[in-house]
Amino acid sequence: MARIFVEGWDPDYGTPLDQDDALSPAEGSVDTSVETDDWAPIEGGDDGVDRIAFVDGVRRVDARLTLDDPERGPTPGLVGTFAVGAVVWDRETRRSEVADVRIERWAVLAGGSGEQMPAVDLDPGVGTTRAPGDDPNLLMMALHSKMRDAEGECAEALAADCAVVADGPLKKIREHATVGYVKTHRVNYLEAPFSGVIAELAPGQRSPMFTIASDTPYARYSWYLRLAMLQGGHSWTGVVRCETSGRLGRDQATSIADRTAAVLPLVASEPQVDPRAPQNLVPIGALERELRHRMGDRGLVYRTLRHAVMREAS
Amino acid sequence: MSDESTQVGRVLGSQHSSTSAFRVVLDDDNFLQLDDLVVVRTQVPKAGEVRTYGVVTEAEAVYEGASYESDTHRIAELGIMPAAKVRTAQVQVTRVDPEVWVSPDPGETVERATGDERAKALYVDEMSRPLAIGIGRDELPVHIDLDFFDGRKGGHMSISGISGVATKTSFALFFLRMLSAREHAGLVGEGAANMRVLVFNVKGEDLLWLDRANSRFDDEAREGWAALGVEPTPFPSVAFWAPPKRRSGDVVVPDTGGRFDGIDVFSWTPREFIDDDLMQFCFTDANDAKNQIPFIRERVQTQLKRFAVNVAGRPGAVVLRDPSQTPGARWGAQEVPAGPGEPVIDDLASLVTALEVFLEPEDGSEPDQAWTGRVMPSTVSAFMRRLHAAASRLGHLVRAGESRRIDRGSATVTVVAIQSLHEQGQRFVVGALLNETFREKEETGRRLPLSVIVLDELNKYAPREGSGPLKDMLIDIAQRGRSLGVLLVGAQQTASRVAPEVLENAAIRVSGRLDAAEAERAEYGWMLPSTRARARVLKPGTMVISQPAIPVPLVVTFPFPPWATRKEEVDEAPGPDPFAGLQPPAPPPG
Repeated sequence: MARIFVEGWDPDYGTPLDQDDALSPAEGSVDTSVETDDWAPIEGGDDGVDRIAFVDGVRRVDARLTLDDPERGPTPGLVGTFAVGAVVWDRETRRSEVADVRIERWAVLAGGSGEQMPAVDLDPGVGTTRAPGDDPNLLMMALHSKMRDAEGECAEALAADCAVVADGPLKKIREHATVGYVKTHRVNYLEAPFSGVIAELAPGQRSPMFTIASDTPYARYSWYLRLAMLQGGHSWTGVVRCETSGRLGRDQATSIADRTAAVLPLVASEPQVDPRAPQNLVPIGALERELRHRMGDRGLVYRTLRHAVMREAS
Repeated sequence: MSDESTQVGRVLGSQHSSTSAFRVVLDDDNFLQLDDLVVVRTQVPKAGEVRTYGVVTEAEAVYEGASYESDTHRIAELGIMPAAKVRTAQVQVTRVDPEVWVSPDPGETVERATGDERAKALYVDEMSRPLAIGIGRDELPVHIDLDFFDGRKGGHMSISGISGVATKTSFALFFLRMLSAREHAGLVGEGAANMRVLVFNVKGEDLLWLDRANSRFDDEAREGWAALGVEPTPFPSVAFWAPPKRRSGDVVVPDTGGRFDGIDVFSWTPREFIDDDLMQFCFTDANDAKNQIPFIRERVQTQLKRFAVNVAGRPGAVVLRDPSQTPGARWGAQEVPAGPGEPVIDDLASLVTALEVFLEPEDGSEPDQAWTGRVMPSTVSAFMRRLHAAASRLGHLVRAGESRRIDRGSATVTVVAIQSLHEQGQRFVVGALLNETFREKEETGRRLPLSVIVLDELNKYAPREGSGPLKDMLIDIAQRGRSLGVLLVGAQQTASRVAPEVLENAAIRVSGRLDAAEAERAEYGWMLPSTRARARVLKPGTMVISQPAIPVPLVVTFPFPPWATRKEEVDEAPGPDPFAGLQPPAPPPG
C-alpha cells in the first residue's frame, strides 16, 4: 500500500519527482552492470580534494520584441540576460568565493533577415541571434542554449584545478571529470529491482553506477545519492542523480562517485533556508543569488532597451 | 591637497546620502572608529567642488550575501557559502563648505580629515576664540568657541551625568583650569587676570586640594596636557573658605575634616544678615513659598532694617529699637549702648528671640501688625517655627564680631566648603553668595571681569518643581547673567529635575555617563540617538559636548588633573633635606 507525502519543495519549483514514464528510459540503453551486479547501497568516500567548484547559470527575459516585417507580418523575439559563474570552495582554508562570472545579453529573433539590435548603452551590450522558429519556447531555448554553452566553458576552464560540480545534466560530454548534478528526476533510469536500492540509501551513500546511452557519443556514468533524510520524507527524499563523462575510466568514475556521495551532503541546504532543500546546494543557492544580482536591474535594462530602439527609430 | 594615504573608503551608493548623514564603505586596509572626522569632495555641476565634513557616529559590519542568520556558520565556519565582509561607518555631517547644501556623491572617496581639514570639520576656523576643552580621538584638542560661554554670543554651561563615573566636577574644574590658564589669557581677553570663580564644595572635600600637586599625575596625563598646550600645574590662585565649627566657643575653627591650614572661616554678622536681606535664604524649601510666608518674611525684613541699631563696642551686633525714637526716623550708622536687660542680637538665635517679642508675644497678646501684616496667626507661627529650625541648623553662620564675609576678590578661584552644612544651610550660603555676586555685577553693569559660578547638584537649588528665592535667582542669573558676565557652570545627575529655564539658557552642554532611562528624556534632545546610546557606557574622563557653533555633539576626553582631588593624592614635599638649614625655607604652596 502506497503512502501519501507532501513534498518539501516550494510548489512553484515543481517537484523533485517529475517522473514521466513515457520518457523512461529516455536515451539509449541503461547498463546496470558497469560497476557491479550486486545492487546495494555503497558508502561514499571523501578523497580530500581541496578545491571544489560549483558551476551554475541563471537567465531571465528582460523584454519581449516584435519584428514588424512588412511582408511576413509581425514575428516575436525577446531580449534576455544570462549570467554564469562558479563558487570555488577551498576546503583547506574553509572559504568560498564567487569566480569566473560571465554575463551576456542576447536579442533572440524568430524571423527577419539580418536585422540587428541597435546599440544599447549597457555593459555588456546586447548581441543578436536567431531562433529556428517562432514558437516562444524556441526563443527561450535559444537563450538557454547560449547559457548552457557558457556554463560548459566555465566548467571546462575550472576543471584544470578543481573538482567541478555543474548544475543540471551534462550538455557536452568531454574527457574531463565534471560532475553533472541533477536535482529533479524527470526520467526514470532504473527499473525494478534496481530502483529499489534508492529507497535503501542513507545520507552519504550512493547507488552503484550505471551507464546511460553507453553506445552513443553521449555515454555517461550515472548514480543516485542521498543528501539528507528529511523528517516526514518519502523513500526518494533528498535523492539526487549525478553523472560524469562516459569517456573516463571506470576507476576514475568510481572515485568521483564516491567523493560526491561523501561530500555533497556537507553542502546540502536546509529546509528553513531554501525552498528546494536539500537538493539546492548551499554554494549554488548563493551563486544564483549573486548571479541574479550581477545581471543588473531588470527595470533599468528594460528602459535602456526602449530608449535605444526609440532613438534608432527617430 | 588630496593625499592618497588618507583615503578610508567611499560613500555608500546603495542608500541615499543626504546633507545631514551618509555612510562610508571602508577600504579593506583601513578603518574608521567613532568620533573620527572625515571629508568628502564632491564635484557639483555649476557650483564646483563642495566639501562635506562629518563625524563618525556608528561603525558596522555585515556579511554581504548572507540572507539568514545561520548563513554566518556556512560562511565563516564551514566555508561552503561565498560572502563578502563589508564594513561601513555612519557619518553625521558637521559642515558643508562652501555652503552649497548638496549631499556627497555616492562612490566618492572619503578621506580622514586632518590638519586644516580637521579644523574646518570642527569649525575651528570660524571660531573667533577657540578654547581647548578636551582631547579628540585623534589626540588633538577639541575646542569650544569662548564667545558662547563668556556671554558675547551665549553663556553658561550645563553638565549632566550620574555620580561617580560621570566626573562632572572634575570636568568643571578642568574647564576652569583651561579658562584660567596663563596660556589662554590672550583668548579670554581683557579682564582675564581679574576673572573670579566661585566654586562650592558640596560633597566630600574633593575641592580642598586644588592648590596641591597630585602624586598620581603621570606621563600619560602629562601628554594630555601637552596636547592641550597648557602647563599642568595646580590652580595657582585659590582661596578656601569653610563655615566655623559649631560650638567651638570663641576659637573660630574651620569645619573641615582633612585640611585646616590655608582655610579661612566665613560667617555673617547680624548686621550683614539684616542689611543683605539674608533672611530670605532661610526660606528656600519648596514648601516655604506656599501660603503667606513670603509675605510675612518680606515684612519682617523691612522692619528689621528700620529697627536695627548698631551696638557700641559690639561690632556686628544690633539691638531692635523703634526708629520713631530718632530724628528722621532712621538709625543709619548710629551706635547706641545697649540698655540694661535689652536683648542684644549677636547671633541668629538671639535674633529669633528678639523677633518673638513682636510676632509671638509671651503674654499671649496679639502680635504687632506692623511686623506681621494681616496674615493668619497660623502663618505667623509657621514662620516662627521655620526661623527656629533655621537657627538650629545654620545659626552658627551668623555671629557678631569682626566681619568674616567671603572675600571673592582675594584669589582667582574661591572654594567655599559647604559639605558639612545641613541642606538648608547649604542653600543659605549658596543663596547669600550668589545674591552678593549678582547684585555686585548689577551695580557695576559691566560684563568684565567675568564672574564664574560652579554649582553641583543644581537640582537642589533650582528644582523643576516649586519656587523659592534661590530658584528665582538662579533663573535670573541664567537669563540675565550672560550680559552681566555672571556665568553659571551648573552640574546635575539628572537634568530632568532641574528648572528648564536654567538648562535652556546654557549654551554649552556637557554630559558624562547617563542613566539609561535618563538618557531618553527630552532634556538630552541635543544628543544624536547614537550618542545617547553611548552616553550609557561612557568611561570616566569622557564627555559629550554640544555647542551652538557645531551642529553635532562631540565626544572628548580630558586628562587626569595635576592637582590633588583628595588628601591621599597630595604630593607631599620630599622629606627634610639634611642640608636644609643651609637654604632659606621654601614658601608654602598656595
